[in-house]
Amino acid sequence: MTNPVRPAQFLKSFGRGLVSGIPYFWLLLFFVIPFVIVLKISFAESQIAQPPFTDLTSFADDMLTISLNLFNYIDLYEYDLYLDGYISSVKIAGISTILCLLIGYPIAYAIAKLPPHARNLALMLVILPSWTSFLIRIYAWIGLLKNNGLINNALLGLGLIDEPLVMLHTPIAVYIGIVYAYLPFMILPIYTNLVKHDHTLLEAASDLGATPAAAFFKVTLPLSVSGIVAGSMLVFIPSVGEFVIPELLGGPDTLMIGKLLWSEFFNARNWPGASAVAVVMLIMLIIPITIFQRYQAKDLEAIADD
Amino acid sequence: MATEQSNSQIENKKLVQLEIKKLEKDFDGFKAVNNISLDIYQGEIFALLGASGCGKSTLLRLLAGFEMPTAGDILLNGQSLIGLSPHERPINMMFQSYALFPHMTVEQNIAFGLRYEHLSKVEITRKIDEVLNLVQMAQYAKRKPHQLSGGQQQRVALARSLAKEPKLLLLDEPMGALDKKLRTQMQLEIVDILESVEVTCVMVTHDQEEAMTMASRVGIMDAGVIRQIGQPIEVYEQPNCRMTAEFIGSVNIFEGTLSVDEPDHAQINCPDLPVPIHVAHGVVGSFGMQLAFALRPEKVRVDMEKPANAHNFARGVIEDIAYLGSHSIYHLRLPSGKKVLASVANSDRLVTGDDAPRLTWNDEVYLSWSEKSGVVLSA
Repeated sequence: MTNPVRPAQFLKSFGRGLVSGIPYFWLLLFFVIPFVIVLKISFAESQIAQPPFTDLTSFADDMLTISLNLFNYIDLYEYDLYLDGYISSVKIAGISTILCLLIGYPIAYAIAKLPPHARNLALMLVILPSWTSFLIRIYAWIGLLKNNGLINNALLGLGLIDEPLVMLHTPIAVYIGIVYAYLPFMILPIYTNLVKHDHTLLEAASDLGATPAAAFFKVTLPLSVSGIVAGSMLVFIPSVGEFVIPELLGGPDTLMIGKLLWSEFFNARNWPGASAVAVVMLIMLIIPITIFQRYQAKDLEAIADD
Repeated sequence: MATEQSNSQIENKKLVQLEIKKLEKDFDGFKAVNNISLDIYQGEIFALLGASGCGKSTLLRLLAGFEMPTAGDILLNGQSLIGLSPHERPINMMFQSYALFPHMTVEQNIAFGLRYEHLSKVEITRKIDEVLNLVQMAQYAKRKPHQLSGGQQQRVALARSLAKEPKLLLLDEPMGALDKKLRTQMQLEIVDILESVEVTCVMVTHDQEEAMTMASRVGIMDAGVIRQIGQPIEVYEQPNCRMTAEFIGSVNIFEGTLSVDEPDHAQINCPDLPVPIHVAHGVVGSFGMQLAFALRPEKVRVDMEKPANAHNFARGVIEDIAYLGSHSIYHLRLPSGKKVLASVANSDRLVTGDDAPRLTWNDEVYLSWSEKSGVVLSA
């Protein structure tokens, strides 16, 4: 009755499963398992020991006890510092994303309008800075922004200002750093989208009475939404958890969740507390990631339809 | 097909809607449009017909305003369009790729142009309904373009270009993206729609069948100039030059010299033919001048017996027969080696086993034609 599974067939389906399984395996190994560990730690209690947190389970007197310590989460809620940290992180990441969009869209648009041979060169110029270490590029900004740095010296030398502008260790420096570091992640997806646009659509818009500006806002812009969403997510998500930039360029008052996480871990050695901070941040980021994925799926659908 | 009726319409009201005056377009020294002058009459469908690269699309883009001419003028109802951007011209175009906005529904696509007409919401809705009904697409108003078939997309594109009631409608290869069967049906349907709204239309096509089916007049373009303008029947039956004769349909060309030239007849000696070509009209020319005689394949008769006429025949061998259903094309070779095509209607049903004598490969036959069948062209 039942067909015996022939070896060849088994190998074939096994092979197929192996290939399509690789990304899942990757996700399991480098996302799900670490996340479960972090989640576990976030429900533990801090202790001075190795490891510096308690076990969730204990077995004594024939009784398996699982104790979930919600203290770390309550702590997050009760201390304004954390809430402020989250809000401030989202605000800084959000403003940086908008700035990246305002700067990146025109650049992507200009590159897409270039003749094909010039496009590759322009894209190269966008990506080229990333060939240097991220840390070095952020350090370089210290040299540019500090009180006796290049910018202030130049402005003083030109007589435009009398005393140095305080730029380093201010929120402005953080914005400069984030926008500078993440701008290519905004430009590339928008460029990829714009370069695929059919030029006859703009001709049609113009033929139907739209001025070039109206054609841009009614045709080009709506058709590039998926590129804008992709770019914004690629900038926003890593910016929220950014640690290096606020640490190096920001001041003591620049509150970002990445910095709080660092000090929980390394200064307070409070692993469970830091884990709770990380879990909440992740849950917070799942919302924009879901939006991103929905748009991406929609985009793929539209391509499949063509 | 559509010519008989439409022609009389044009004769009745020969109002010039569009004047093209000595128009030129230069692309880096290449004259895509070379000194074209052309009048388009109100309500007619004019087809620019030519091979790719002949400049027909450039001419259309000059009318739409996507290209600016190097020299010359375009007048619509007496007013020059030079210097006006596409969005300022009362002209709409249906694009070959349709160029429907993929992020908008059918309704929104049509509303797009109407927003710039300063109309009330009610009027816009009424106009959308009107044009959608015109192209029988009312039930698809809420669909997105990618949810429609090619033929439906074309209807929407047509509706969108008609919604603003343009003074001039441009069609760029209107059937280019459709399959053959749908093409024939849509050609006649579009003509009906265009005639019902009485819009003046200039279309561009490389498909002569399409041009002849749809247009009331045809302009044959080649290398940036218009070689001949006329009703489809004129350009087919009376081509004015070899290029037109060879471009429209297939044709046999006999080259020869003028030997007799009287007011009511003329004769041409052709080295490929055993007897002179006799035509029933005079040729204004000098004796011995080189001429070309164009003869359409369907005007060539093929017989087993020698025809009675003293002129206009030749012996030939059937080299090949292409059976095309409604008719067959005979490839005949004359003793001189000259190849001649003859199209013969298959008026009798060909049945296997039927042993009526039938022309077949390698048969020696006579081909002949009447004195009114061909056209004399300058060589």
